Amino acid sequence: MAVPLPVFVGQRRPDWEALQGLLAQQREGTLGLEGLRRLDTLYRRAAADLAHAQTFYPGTDAHRFLNQLCGQAYAAIYQPPRERWLAVRDFFRREFPATLRAEGRFVAVSAGFFILGLLLGSLVVLLEPRGAELLVPQGVRDYVAQGRMWTDDILSVAPPNAVSSGIATNNLTVVIFTFASGILFGLGTVFTLVNNGVQIGAIAALCAREGLGLKLLDFISAHGPVELSIITIAGGAGLMVGQALIDPGELPRGQALVLRGKAAVKLVLGCAPFLAGIALVEGFISPGTLFPTALKGALGLSLGALFWSYLLRAGRDTSLSSTSLR
Amino acid sequence: MLKSGMASDSSPNLEVATPERVALSLPVAGIGYRCLAWLVDATLLFFFWVSAYFVLSLLVSDLLTAFRGLSGFVQTLAVVGLFATQWLYWTLAEVFLHGQTPGKRLLGIRVVRADGSPVGVYESAVRNLLRAVDFLPVFYAIGCLSMLFTRQHRRLGDLLAGTLLVREERFNLDKYTAPAQAAPHAVSLTAASVPSRRLGPEEVELILAFLERAHWLEPDARRTLGLRMVERCGGLSEEERASVLASPESVEGFLRTRIQGAR
Repeated sequence: MAVPLPVFVGQRRPDWEALQGLLAQQREGTLGLEGLRRLDTLYRRAAADLAHAQTFYPGTDAHRFLNQLCGQAYAAIYQPPRERWLAVRDFFRREFPATLRAEGRFVAVSAGFFILGLLLGSLVVLLEPRGAELLVPQGVRDYVAQGRMWTDDILSVAPPNAVSSGIATNNLTVVIFTFASGILFGLGTVFTLVNNGVQIGAIAALCAREGLGLKLLDFISAHGPVELSIITIAGGAGLMVGQALIDPGELPRGQALVLRGKAAVKLVLGCAPFLAGIALVEGFISPGTLFPTALKGALGLSLGALFWSYLLRAGRDTSLSSTSLR
Repeated sequence: MLKSGMASDSSPNLEVATPERVALSLPVAGIGYRCLAWLVDATLLFFFWVSAYFVLSLLVSDLLTAFRGLSGFVQTLAVVGLFATQWLYWTLAEVFLHGQTPGKRLLGIRVVRADGSPVGVYESAVRNLLRAVDFLPVFYAIGCLSMLFTRQHRRLGDLLAGTLLVREERFNLDKYTAPAQAAPHAVSLTAASVPSRRLGPEEVELILAFLERAHWLEPDARRTLGLRMVERCGGLSEEERASVLASPESVEGFLRTRIQGAR
């Protein structure tokens, strides 16, 4: 038999307030073992009270209060295991390269789109010189017309560490957008990949035609391999999202999207520190004539080889055993 | 008044089935809450940058020549900081403040997974990286469209991360337990009379809503509303009714004892 609502609230309120206090402690991380046991008991009592309120006092403020209280306690008790700092090490040792290997075909397709753009851009400029007016930005064309590299002035305007941080954030923005625009059925990613490819291809072809090819090579050889790899990987992540939208397979579209999105973001997060590192190279080593071209080329190739051997080899032997343990 | 109490039922809810066999339904935050929370966050970041700009420009100015050598370092700091506020701020805040940025905390909304559990690093990273697309072409136009067309008001980032925003309200439970302080003669009177029937929870909520607001009402409105409440409760003989309606205090004292059900 239901008691009147105010009597019910009056009787049960101390327990609810104790539960609120424990939840606040849990959020601050000061909850002891004894408090944890009490939290469990009080949560079960509050859940019983909620069931009672649902039946006898639906739509009242007391009902809504209990609903919210139980929601908070539920979130606190049934929360998934938290990622700790140790997990970061594990992520780079095993999870990131393993995810990349599992999703290799998407990265390959993304590389295909990028190379397609490169070919398109360079062919257009080589076959039809006026095409450069469309594809190459005005500022770059002015420099090339004077027979200079636009990168020569980067260092004289700003100190190298500011340049490298500027480059890092710019590249990160490109990478983030390449991934994020995969939500537009993958079209955004494809567009970004092809567009970037066309621009780089057109600039390279223009420089080659104006006799600046060696200078361009001098600038891009140190950071190019790793940087382009990272953009390709981000493109792969974007294509994964697009594929989940277009062809979700056995799952409902929403679930497939969540599942694939979580795998895809691992690729992007994994790339971030490498992108920051390569920006240092791009800011300090690539511009200027401090290092000879051959050295820059050798550095670029070895960095690229290191990056890819890490991606293809790291955590390969441990991946099986640790997945079976879970 | 009854309707306003039920307002949250008309907005979409997140239904969660718990192992305790009680269904929770958390109210989902709509587009208005989310825009306001974003505005608060954006304003915070804006003022952070205005003050940082003044401090930095002071540091690198000719006034303090001692710091001129720092200008490159300061520029680096500025670029990295701008990036951090653009991308890291949201994810770090959501991971460490249990699904709330400062703006969301102010508005009382929280990011949760679709099953009601707190967000992790990956979910938060996905939904915040997707801001790049949701922001297109200007001021979250795509995100707002997506929120308007999805049932639980989720933008593209939420769809990809499997998250949504729930609302947290403040409830005043004191109104249930407030003692019947005033008008002792009204209490003794109702103690003598036997009310015919027990009040339903809706009527209790209605009376509580009235009692909460009674002190702020105009005297006329207070009297007429009190009269209606007493008539709705019913069960009073003619002379009891007259003595209850003698003053607003006695009306409210009677209503208070009536809902307490203390007889």
